[in-house]
Amino acid sequence: MKRLMLTIFLALTIISGAYADDKIVFGAALSLTGKLAKEGNLVKDGYELWKEVVNKKGGINVGGKKYLVDIKYYDDESDPNRGAKLVEKLITEDKIKLILGPYGSESVFATSAITEKYGALMVQGGAAADKLYTRGFKNLFGIYTVATEYMDDILEMLKDKNPKPSTVAIVYSNDLFSTQVAQGAKSAAQKYGYNVVLFQDYPKGTQDLSTVIAQIKGKNPDIIIGCGHFQDTIVIVKQCKDYKVNPKALAFSVGPTLPDFVDSLKGDSENVFGSAQWTKSLKYKDPVFGSNTEFVKMFKAKYKEDPNYHSAGGAAAAVIFQRAIEKAGTFTDIAKIREALSNFNEETLFGKIKFDSTGKVVGKGMAVIQILNGTQVTVYPEAVAEGKMVYPKPAWK
Amino acid sequence: MILQILVNGILLGGFYALIGVGFSLVWGVTNIINLAHGAIALLGSYITYYMFQNLHIDPFITLPVSFIVLYIFGYLVQRYLMNMVVKAQIFMLLILTFGMEIFLVNFMTTFFSADFRSVTPDYAGKSIEIAGVVVPYIRLAVFAICMIVTAIMGFFLEKTWTGKAIRATSLDLEAAMMTGISPRKIYSITFALGSALAGLSGSLLSLTQAFSPNIAGGLTLRAFIVAILGGLGRVEGAFLGGLLLGVIETVSSFYIGESYKNAIAFGLMVFMLIVKPSGLLGRKYYAEVKH
Repeated sequence: MKRLMLTIFLALTIISGAYADDKIVFGAALSLTGKLAKEGNLVKDGYELWKEVVNKKGGINVGGKKYLVDIKYYDDESDPNRGAKLVEKLITEDKIKLILGPYGSESVFATSAITEKYGALMVQGGAAADKLYTRGFKNLFGIYTVATEYMDDILEMLKDKNPKPSTVAIVYSNDLFSTQVAQGAKSAAQKYGYNVVLFQDYPKGTQDLSTVIAQIKGKNPDIIIGCGHFQDTIVIVKQCKDYKVNPKALAFSVGPTLPDFVDSLKGDSENVFGSAQWTKSLKYKDPVFGSNTEFVKMFKAKYKEDPNYHSAGGAAAAVIFQRAIEKAGTFTDIAKIREALSNFNEETLFGKIKFDSTGKVVGKGMAVIQILNGTQVTVYPEAVAEGKMVYPKPAWK
Repeated sequence: MILQILVNGILLGGFYALIGVGFSLVWGVTNIINLAHGAIALLGSYITYYMFQNLHIDPFITLPVSFIVLYIFGYLVQRYLMNMVVKAQIFMLLILTFGMEIFLVNFMTTFFSADFRSVTPDYAGKSIEIAGVVVPYIRLAVFAICMIVTAIMGFFLEKTWTGKAIRATSLDLEAAMMTGISPRKIYSITFALGSALAGLSGSLLSLTQAFSPNIAGGLTLRAFIVAILGGLGRVEGAFLGGLLLGVIETVSSFYIGESYKNAIAFGLMVFMLIVKPSGLLGRKYYAEVKH
């Protein structure tokens, strides 16, 4: 009996060993339930599509041999601390050192500390906080344009429009991310020669912004920039209309890019600008999917809905991880893969990706979308614009 | 400008009053601090949202629907859940309502998704301007409905038999029982009314802002402050507390800073608890701890 058990045990070990050898296994602790469930699952959709496409092509090519891909998932229940523990489990128990990032700055912040500690690698397409890259980490690479550069492109786009806007009001939610976006917007506004007439914060999750709107109205700015979250963005648009505040341009860091924006605001969402990490219409080539357009098509075929930037970020992070592994010619030597990532310079569906020494993406820029006739239209960069922007914004009906 | 800020505060206060009145009533009469109040309000928001989105029914017409649906919901919850433990320690009730909050929030997240929703009818954003002060119609309507509902509640409690029985139960449980009032029934009716009022405020909330299941806690907190400020179990108290909170929020956010308004609102609540724990209009007996 003992011998039989031993044999079975040995057989299992060999099988699982063989299994591990033929496959490259990535790990991810995502928010599949809880308050970030939606975003977490969207990122997972991106990972899954990538896995399917890569495996259909025979897998990742490492030194001439093709390896199939698998991803081991855990659910962090939208709790960054739990995420950190699960990543530790992935590394120590499941022996996985290639970690695909979770969604959300807090989760990436917590989990990347674990990957750093154990010398594992993380590529993430789900967090944009600057603080991720100020800790001197070597093993974290992120493809989201960071918070402080979020509103840069939108302000540059508007600076030479006719009639020329000269004053900007910036209002922001007082959480870390939005504050950084706002500070970045303020310095960008000054860089492009605008006069910042109002720089006002408000508490996160606020239910009423009538006082802030009254203050904006008092300044009568040409551009209103809102740096907050979906909920406050809706309140700002509604109350701008309520109180007849009519800027030449109304732009937000978060909100207009989400499909719920038009559903929630109906006609009042018209002509609002939004900053986007990624849009469906960007015409980038991609080493795995062929191009961004192809990615969108495949995503739609698999999930019966359009991808948004969460899924695209997930897929792109995985693509970049894959390309780095292929270039390094190994999936076990972390130092070599890291070096390949540091020297990375390729066009992907997410844009032209290069990393600086801290691991954050540089020079990718943000696309600008505008809600026109109830749909998101990419209006900037002009080279890939889908439609002509409406400026100045007509007064509320 | 300051006039506009004050008007904003009063309009906002109307909403706070409505969300506070049900909470305060339940607390004052049954001694249940209903931590699920905000979550129940959101059920009302979703009723309005889905009726508007799928059936294109005007959000104001959905108000009676949310009132009735949540009245029934509240009645059943109290009858078959709360009444089981209502004689236990207050701590048990807190745990039960807290559990209910978690259940409802997750229920809504699962079935309605965690997306933020908002109801925007065609006439949203229309407003009148009087002497430079802008008054949005929807906010005015919300305010008016809150006033009317609060007045009806006051009348109901003062004049009808059931209302009197509710007050009697809150004043002296044993004496009320001796006169033939069944506390189980009264508790159920009170909780049902509290839920129905929460549902109404939730429906109105969907018109002025975006909501998702996760804002439930924030709503309960507002209701809590209103109840403490105004005095428990009293309709007029909640009304006054609501207006006060609205005005304090807008005025302090104008003079001190938007980011400090929560700190000031809570500071005021603590101050009230120190100087007059029974609230502005609270009296002895109301909400005395009975266990």
